[in-house]
Amino acid sequence: MDQAIATLTEQFFNALTIGGIYALIALGYTMVYGIIELINFAHGEVFMVGAFTSMMVLTTLGFTGPIRDPAVLAGVLLIDFAITMPLLGMLGVGIERFAYRPLRNAPRLAPLITAIGISFILMNIIQIIFGPSPQPTPQIFPLDARFSIGNASISFLSLFIVTVAAVLTIVLQLFVSRSRMGRAMRSTAQDREAAQLMGVNINTTIAVTFFIAAALAGAAGIVYGLFFGTISFVIGFQAGLKAFTAAVLGGIGNLTGAVLGGFIIGFVEVIAVQLGYGRWSEAIVFAVLIIVLVFRPTGLLGQQLGERA
Amino acid sequence: MDRKKFGALAFGAMLVAAACTPTGGESAAPSSGGETTAPSAGGGESPAPGSAGTLKIGIDLPLSGGEAVNGEPTRNGVLLAIKQANAAGGINGYTLEAVEKDDAVNGVHDPNQGATNVNALVADEAVVGMVGPFNSNVARAQIPIANEAGLAMCSPANTGVDRTQEGSETYRPANPDARNYFRTATPDNIQGKGLAQYAYNELGAKNAYVLDDTEAFGVGVANEFEKEFVSLGGTIAKRDGNDYKTNTSFTSLLTTAKGLTPPIDVVFFGGTQTNGGGQVRKDMGSLAMLDIPYVGPDGITDLAKGGTKGAYITLAGVENSGNTHGSVAGVHDLPNAGTFPADYEAEFGTPPGAYSALAFVCTTILLDSIRTATAAGGTDMAALREAVRAAAFDGSTHETLVGPIVVDPNGDSGTWLSFYKTDPTAEGGLGGWTFVKQQNFAPGQ
Repeated sequence: MDQAIATLTEQFFNALTIGGIYALIALGYTMVYGIIELINFAHGEVFMVGAFTSMMVLTTLGFTGPIRDPAVLAGVLLIDFAITMPLLGMLGVGIERFAYRPLRNAPRLAPLITAIGISFILMNIIQIIFGPSPQPTPQIFPLDARFSIGNASISFLSLFIVTVAAVLTIVLQLFVSRSRMGRAMRSTAQDREAAQLMGVNINTTIAVTFFIAAALAGAAGIVYGLFFGTISFVIGFQAGLKAFTAAVLGGIGNLTGAVLGGFIIGFVEVIAVQLGYGRWSEAIVFAVLIIVLVFRPTGLLGQQLGERA
Repeated sequence: MDRKKFGALAFGAMLVAAACTPTGGESAAPSSGGETTAPSAGGGESPAPGSAGTLKIGIDLPLSGGEAVNGEPTRNGVLLAIKQANAAGGINGYTLEAVEKDDAVNGVHDPNQGATNVNALVADEAVVGMVGPFNSNVARAQIPIANEAGLAMCSPANTGVDRTQEGSETYRPANPDARNYFRTATPDNIQGKGLAQYAYNELGAKNAYVLDDTEAFGVGVANEFEKEFVSLGGTIAKRDGNDYKTNTSFTSLLTTAKGLTPPIDVVFFGGTQTNGGGQVRKDMGSLAMLDIPYVGPDGITDLAKGGTKGAYITLAGVENSGNTHGSVAGVHDLPNAGTFPADYEAEFGTPPGAYSALAFVCTTILLDSIRTATAAGGTDMAALREAVRAAAFDGSTHETLVGPIVVDPNGDSGTWLSFYKTDPTAEGGLGGWTFVKQQNFAPGQ
């Protein structure tokens, strides 16, 4: 019995960790969709580039093994986030500027295909630079740093990832709901032309949206590398698909919905495994999505970014 | 520089880089010309060397680019066997000649190139057998063509069960009843069985957690492992499958396995290290499960040291890689090596490669078959080719480097497995594999 409770506690944290990573990626899908109604299929690959960027940052800094000193670890992680997130943000802005902005008034299908094209370009670039085989990432977070809840042993890394996801989500919520730029984003999402007439700089607003979305994907890439320890040029597709599903599940365009969707998918996957249906976890995730969409076609929380951020 | 502009520049550079990417093309397809053939002289009566003419043995392997490291030592095994046969006076008056074909395009084995090569081989009526291919997907492309022509072919490296056993008829659409493909590598089903015995007897495991990668190879090996482990008296605590392409974490699966009662004492993984074979061990490390031994087939037993790109120890992390046990579908020490290693080194200047001996054995079986087929005389090349194919499957015993072997009716002849375990302190701390033992799983051994 004790063992069963310990297992369930550990699984609870596994689900939170995986859900947190999905949530960070899902935020990017939902922000971009909310503001220009584009399903940014390249977002999963932006996340993948983030994982590789973080690997490069840590390797360049010379940290490849576990860092035992908490202060040093915190410092290195801070530097990693401080370099990777802005770099990825710039990549997002670059993609928007060159691939999406010229097509802003084109038929809906054109930017969609462009997004798929960008995702392949990013995959190919990473594949050529780093090769096709999976790469181990620096495991700077000591895996034996654990704490106990009853008989359950939880790693501090899980706690760290959940915290990162929670903090970034809250900061984003505050930014969108309180800041001037956040207001500009919401107004652009609601009615682009009216916002422009009111003096909102549409191009800047959309660029900032892409910057934030890609920077969050970069953060997801960092924690993914720490948690999984192995990355390859194809991880963007799988993680991107799950995160996109999370965004739709929660109601695409809705920030809270994306986070909720990310955690729901994390929990559904882990529950499926715990009940012995691990082989079915993909099918179960998408069955849940279909059931939710049948009853709530706009997703669980189903509003647009503009109406309620 | 303003931030936006910098991002734009960086992105522009990426586009340029992408545009310059070389895309796979056929321009660099290796030409496999160069072989010159002495015209087949009419069949003479006297068995003097060369008097009956020349018979050719085709070789199809990846011989250029990065895969030449596999192909060349394998080819050398064939060349050495042919050279020794000719030095011993040929076979029933025939001189033997090798025809080399390269199935690598831009450095990667290519099924289409393999098909082109085998078409060229069967079109030459003096070719009475071939050794190859090295890679599974090339074999799938080649077997039907060779089958239609009735050409005996022997792979020293393929281990997939479907090539010879259940499902193999799909590779023989033209002559379903005339098998032409056989091999000297040990088929995958023997690996699962051998690993179960190893885990139960050598590691003392009684309660196994079995994982597979949901692909044909992995599921097959895991099934064989389960069957044998249970028949030895062990129990299977749980069986799971995970498609690494859709789920890259084994954490939740392993957490469940860790909580089972009675506790598991071995984790078996059916699959390859790129399908999660390394990730499983890494996740076992992050769940503090490293004291449980980890066992897998040649999909993880790559015998590469830590740090090698894509190698098991690299992917698992050297700190997690200890206590891993695996098998390789071949022999570590040749039971009947004789002068082979010395002869090989004298001829090619390097020690034999991993598949040199199995390629030599393939050639031995083909040469034996040619001896049987040509004993009756006759000059009809088409009939001779068919006679060689039939002789390869006649169930006779061949004296080879790996001891006496028989090609069974399916075309399988390999029965040896070698077992290895990891040593994280090897290779100056990078981690490596050490040989444990080898065992012959032939019936009656």
